[in-house]
Amino acid sequence: MSVYRHDYRAYSGRVTPMWARVGVLVRYGLAEAWSSKITIGLGLAAMIPFIIFLIQIYLANNPATRLLVSRNNLRFLDVDAEYFLRALEAQCWFALPLMSWVAPRLITYDLADNALPILLSHPVSRFGYVLGKFLALFASLASVTVLPCLVLFVYQCDCAPPGWTMANLPIAFGIVAGTTVWITLLSMVGLAFSSWVKWRTLATGVIFAAVLVPAGVGGIFSAVLRTRWGMLLNLPVMMTQLWQRLLGVPEVVRTGRDWSLPSAAILAMLIAACLVCAAMLHARIRAREVVRG
Amino acid sequence: MGIIDLDRLEVRLGGRTVLNGLTGELRGNAIGLLGPNGAGKSTLINTLLGFHLPSSGGARVFGLDSRHDRARIRQGIGYMPENDSFIGNQSGVRFVRYMAELAGLPPAEALERAHEALFYVGLGEVRYRKVSTYSLGMKQLIKLAQALAHGPKLLILDEPTNGLDPVARQRMIQTIKEIRKAGSIRLLISSHLLRDIDETCDEVLILRDGRIAALCNIEEERRSHRNFIELETAGATEQFAVNVRALGCECASFPGGRIKLVMPDRLEARDLFVIAGEQGVQIRRMSQRRDSLEDIFLRAMDNERQVANVGL
Repeated sequence: MSVYRHDYRAYSGRVTPMWARVGVLVRYGLAEAWSSKITIGLGLAAMIPFIIFLIQIYLANNPATRLLVSRNNLRFLDVDAEYFLRALEAQCWFALPLMSWVAPRLITYDLADNALPILLSHPVSRFGYVLGKFLALFASLASVTVLPCLVLFVYQCDCAPPGWTMANLPIAFGIVAGTTVWITLLSMVGLAFSSWVKWRTLATGVIFAAVLVPAGVGGIFSAVLRTRWGMLLNLPVMMTQLWQRLLGVPEVVRTGRDWSLPSAAILAMLIAACLVCAAMLHARIRAREVVRG
Repeated sequence: MGIIDLDRLEVRLGGRTVLNGLTGELRGNAIGLLGPNGAGKSTLINTLLGFHLPSSGGARVFGLDSRHDRARIRQGIGYMPENDSFIGNQSGVRFVRYMAELAGLPPAEALERAHEALFYVGLGEVRYRKVSTYSLGMKQLIKLAQALAHGPKLLILDEPTNGLDPVARQRMIQTIKEIRKAGSIRLLISSHLLRDIDETCDEVLILRDGRIAALCNIEEERRSHRNFIELETAGATEQFAVNVRALGCECASFPGGRIKLVMPDRLEARDLFVIAGEQGVQIRRMSQRRDSLEDIFLRAMDNERQVANVGL
């Protein structure tokens, strides 16, 4: 490293292609996200259910355990679509606190220190900037959702008798589709709200509120008006129904009232939420603020 | 083709015309951008960087259109914004490396040049400290370092001496002079401090109310007024004036023995004393006027005011 050179010299070396600049944002975003001990703690905590589910697959495919369990006629060792739904739900809900911690780290530091004019004066567009941050957050969330769930599926494929894999391949597609929808939505929500709240700790709280408060409002709406459409504000209910359908798990009416929502309505609501988040980012991620007057 | 070509550039922001029909060609090695607050200096810079789109007309940087070739323009520009702009929880070297990588340098080269840039601006000893712990002067310098790290062709400095104490200001000016002297980078320096521009630039663009009040080469402007001399004489003033004219000077006489003249380049002030001696004329006072940037600036402001009054 030629730190002995104290004179200015022009750069005449190789330049990376334009598309690679987004990769720089992703790399630095990931480094920033995982430089926090809390992020690592949350990531490790998200591995606890994964390990439990992993052990469950081992036991389910262990002849001695099966013999023992079948004598008691217990179903909890069955590895089927319902098992993967439980795993998916557990992993996906662990992704929520992780997102609410990581997303502000990716955006609010840049906004708090007014780094956008410098960042965007480089050959990176606003879209490229948001895409880079989005991919960093998406990758962080994928590491605790889709990856563990797919590892479980692959492990089960390895342990299960021949033919199980082909018969249950839709479950793998369901896992990928369900987690992708969830972490895409979480990433958008996380980035959008982080871009509007400069104080990082407050941003974490606001993100939680953005997910949970509409759920409460939707619940009240549905209860008062005796309609299921209020559930369109309830993200946990919507996602659970979506995951059930993607994995092919029959929906169980638990509370005596059918809150079932059409898949098209759920998807439309999720797309609308993403569009609102995109509009929030569009309004906020600017190199300069325009003064009206 | 100039470094920056402006062609009837108009920018409207929030329903207000901030830049109004700017036309001109900036060719200097170091171009000063002057104007009172609200004149449109920062808006012009932001438009060149592609942050604002022209509502009509256009601007070209190194022949590239600011509307369509934003990425390529930014590739060749190093920008030091006016206000604080950094990532506080990163170390100095990491921040500059990050910016260099965003500008297209491969990671290893970016790291090497980040170290070099930080040493060059004088932050070598503090490069592993977090940027948030830097003083105001250091923050100005790290903005300069990140603008230099990727080896831009054009360096845009927006109020580079903002908030600096006299020593830090002098150091910043010295660094800018060195960059200019190195010759591989063109400079566009926006400031409302005439002295900064005077010390660092060879061309000046003066803006007022979003219009060009003056665009001139500072040196040429000074040269054109270099030989303007005012004299107070006693004795045969009229004959003295005739003889001076015969030497090729433009000359005007006023009551009280006052003479104003513009000498050709080949003459020296000494020649006037020789003629005065031969004529028996006393030269009691001689003032050789040299235009400062302040004169150029005030003249531009005055011209604009007159144009506005005529318009009314």
